[in-house]
Amino acid sequence: MALINVAAREIHCKIVYYGPGMCGKTTNLRYIHSQVPKEVKGDLLSIATETERTLFFDFLPLDLGKVRGFQTRFHLYTVPGQVLYERTRVAVLNGADGVVFVADSNKSKMQENVNSLKELAQNITRQNKRFAEFPIVMQYNKRDLPKEVLAPVQTMDHFLGVTRMHWPRVEAVATVGTGVFETLRAISRAVISKL
Amino acid sequence: MDPQLTSIIVPTEELRHIEECLVRLVEDTGSDYALLLDKSGQVISSQGDGDRQDITALGALIAGVFASSREVAKLLRERDFRASFQQGVRENIFIALIEEQWILCIIFNKGTHIGLVKVLTKKATDELASVLERVRQQHKARDEVLGSSFRTSMEDTIDLLFRD
Ligand SMILES: Nc1nc2c(ncn2[C@@H]2O[C@H](COP(=O)(O)OP(=O)(O)OP(=O)(O)O)[C@@H](O)[C@H]2O)c(=O)[nH]1
Ligand SMILES: [Mg+2]
Repeated sequence: MALINVAAREIHCKIVYYGPGMCGKTTNLRYIHSQVPKEVKGDLLSIATETERTLFFDFLPLDLGKVRGFQTRFHLYTVPGQVLYERTRVAVLNGADGVVFVADSNKSKMQENVNSLKELAQNITRQNKRFAEFPIVMQYNKRDLPKEVLAPVQTMDHFLGVTRMHWPRVEAVATVGTGVFETLRAISRAVISKL
Repeated sequence: MDPQLTSIIVPTEELRHIEECLVRLVEDTGSDYALLLDKSGQVISSQGDGDRQDITALGALIAGVFASSREVAKLLRERDFRASFQQGVRENIFIALIEEQWILCIIFNKGTHIGLVKVLTKKATDELASVLERVRQQHKARDEVLGSSFRTSMEDTIDLLFRD
């Protein structure tokens, strides 16, 4: 639910990166933070364990400047992907306007992807939102994996129900930034189309 | 459209009510700071001394902490979890929920008694709840506020800033 502050002429949108553990959510935010112009980004805030796994969330505020007189802000979050942190994900997802689902392209991670997506659907529904209408963009990350372990795009589409749900889908290699901004553009568009 | 997906629009006159309410709360309790956040962590208004540079991060963290505390409460089968209190060496933080949508947060030091904060916060949350109620009631068309060309301009901005 975006917030439009008419007096201050501000619009805020919250975008959450969701997905199984180690799929590359934090890597997406780090890359965005490293690339956007200084005047657009705030500090990247990461609450992580000693081993760099997300414990609570990463948070990156982006200030898009004035659009038709409205100061527009996007707040990007990642959830902690480890199964253990299910309730923490519920907390971070609270009030989200859109979700980027980062799926791991490793064949052996397909079940984890599916479980995480199911959990997301449940959590969105619990917030009294219709999952089918909720802005979601799919990112197939780690497309640089060796052929032997790389899941074909069609297989992933099938397992994750992407074609049926009409979600935009982006192939990515977050470590080098491939597809990261395409994903961000897609979710931003999906979110503002619901404003 | 799904009502849960529509935006919350805070008009000028309601923001004034909110500001007055927060200023009064700060003055009457002798607190340092009062913040009104959306449950998504966005700052709607902040009142108190000093210009905080870290207000955006503070909003995100407080909303996150509060949402996690609620999940803890749920696991403990606590049905009515509407407030939380954190005690520090110098500063204390009292957080109260307004209708599952907004979060009121008061930051105060040893000079202020928590009892007073609780009582006056209750008054303030009632007041803010009626502001929220009015904000929800008004069905102002989005286009009326944003202008019909807003979306196109927004898309152009996104394409310009989020480039590879
Ligand atoms: N090969 C490859 N590795 C990647 C890619 N993206 C991320 N990684 C690696 O995957 C590991 C986990 O990345 P993170 O971004 O920390 O994963 P996360 O989703 O935030 O994980 P949690 O915080 O535990 O949920 C790191 O070692 C990254 O370098 C990619 O596109 N290709
Ligand atoms: Mg992470």
